[in-house]
Formats: sequence, structure tokens, C-alpha cells
Amino acid sequence: MKMNKNEFLERLRKGLAGLPEDDLSERLDFYGEMIDDRVEEGLSEEEAILEIGSPEEIAWQIIADYPLGKLVKKKMKPKRSFRAWEIVLLVLGSPVWLPLLAAAVVVALSLYVSVWAIIVSLWAVFASFAGTAFGGLVSGIAFISIGNTLTGAAMIGACLLLSGLSIFTFFGCKAATKGILLLTKKAAIGIKNLIIGKGDM
Amino acid sequence: MDIQLKRGLLDVCVLAAIKDEDSYGYKIIKDLKPYVELSESTLYTILKRLEAAEMLTVRSAEHGGRLRKYYHITEAGLHRIEEFCEEWREVMSIYNFVTKEKAQNENE
Repeated sequence: MKMNKNEFLERLRKGLAGLPEDDLSERLDFYGEMIDDRVEEGLSEEEAILEIGSPEEIAWQIIADYPLGKLVKKKMKPKRSFRAWEIVLLVLGSPVWLPLLAAAVVVALSLYVSVWAIIVSLWAVFASFAGTAFGGLVSGIAFISIGNTLTGAAMIGACLLLSGLSIFTFFGCKAATKGILLLTKKAAIGIKNLIIGKGDM
Repeated sequence: MDIQLKRGLLDVCVLAAIKDEDSYGYKIIKDLKPYVELSESTLYTILKRLEAAEMLTVRSAEHGGRLRKYYHITEAGLHRIEEFCEEWREVMSIYNFVTKEKAQNENE
């Protein structure tokens, strides 16, 4: 691995890419001086560099010791200026994307509301069955107690039928609610993936 | 060795190397070699730290047709060396006490 001063400094510069420019040039000057001083003592450039070490390892050591805050600040800088014109674009485009976004939100909201309306109406059917069954039972007993046995018997018969139906609808409603909830959850995940993308995007 | 302790020791070593006369990077490394092996990147970090703490100043001077950086100790730097010597007088007396105790225990 023989290299001269220029090669060494070039490889060190590559290894330190990403450091602030003034800091980078100061470090390169420092290593350049270290090589020159050894050459002045009678070493060749190659021998001087052998003493100092490989530029890649030195760069790695410098990066490892570098304060993280400074590195992050440096990395964020080009993105910040990009964001500035991104914001301008967003503002200028707002007449187009704002109504579209509003419409999408309204559609999603109405879908959500209608799904819940189905659930509510199913349970309302169950409630009316159960309610009439209970009411029929009460009035049937009342009819029998005032002597109108035939009407009372018919009433109680009807209420038995209704309670049977209400039990039936109860399980139906339960299953339907469960199914719809699962469906809305899947739809929500689907919409999320559509916007954000799955993992690696 | 404890990293904080080592850092403090190296700082004082570099200050001591420029105490009597201004010095430059390669000479500091050579002068310290019998006592401590300093890599270039370690020395750079120490010099930066001492400069920020105003314990030394840097100037560039012409040498053999190129520029070389010379490091000059300040009052604060000299004060740091004094402080170090006082601290270590105490540390040494504790060390003597501890090793004496140890020697006695081993003799018993």
C-alpha cells in the first residue's frame, strides 16, 4: 500500500465527506503538515504515511469521535432549503389540493357514518322485537286478568313468537356488528397503506 | 484507565510540551513519545479542545517555504499545569498511604 501525500489527503477527504467544509480543510492541512515535517526529517512521503496510518482508518476514527450534534446539523442543512420551496409549492397548489382533500375527508366520514347507521338500525330492529314481546306479555296478562282469555292467549302467543325472533336477531346483530367492525378496520388499514405506503416505501 | 482521567492527563501533557517554547504538531508528538503515544487525530482533538478553553493560541508561520502551525501556551494554560501539580501532590500522598498500608498487610 504505497501512496504519496496527495493520494493520502485525497483518500482522507473522501473518508471525511460530510464534515463541515472549514473543519475538513483544517484537518487536511494538519495531516499535510504532519507528512511534510516527517519528510523534512529525511523520510520519504511513503514512509511518513506508513507511520501515520491508513487514511480510511483515520477517517473512521475521526467520524467516531465527532460530536453527533454537529454531524446531524450538517446533514439536515440541504434538506431545509429544499423544504422552503416545497412549502411555496404547497401554498400555490392549495386551490387544487385543498378541495380534493376536503372531499376525500367528507367521503370517508360519510362512509364511516353509514356503516354505523347500519349497525344502529340492526340493533333497533332487535330492540323493537324485544320491546314489543315484553309489551305483548304485559298486555296479554292484563287481558286474561280482566276475563278476555282468548285475546290474552293470542297476545301471549304473539309475544312468544316475537321473543323467539328477538333472540334470533340478537345473534344476527352481534355477528353483523363484528363483521362490519372488522371490515372498517381493514378499510382503515388499506387507506393508511395507500397514503403512507407499506414499510420500505 | 478511566476515560475522563486520561483526557485530563493528555491535556496537561500537551500543555507541558508547549510550556517552555512554542511548538508544532509533529514536535509535540515526538516530545511526548517516551511518555505517551499520541496519534495525530487524538492530538488534533486535544489541541482543538485546549484552544476552545483558551489555554493555548495558534499562529501560522512560514517554515521552509510552507506554513506551519505553532501553538503557544496562555496564562490559563500555565494555570492549568499549576492546578494539575497541586492535585497530583494530593493524589501522590494518598497513593503513598495506600501502598504503605498494602505493604504492611503483606508483611503480616
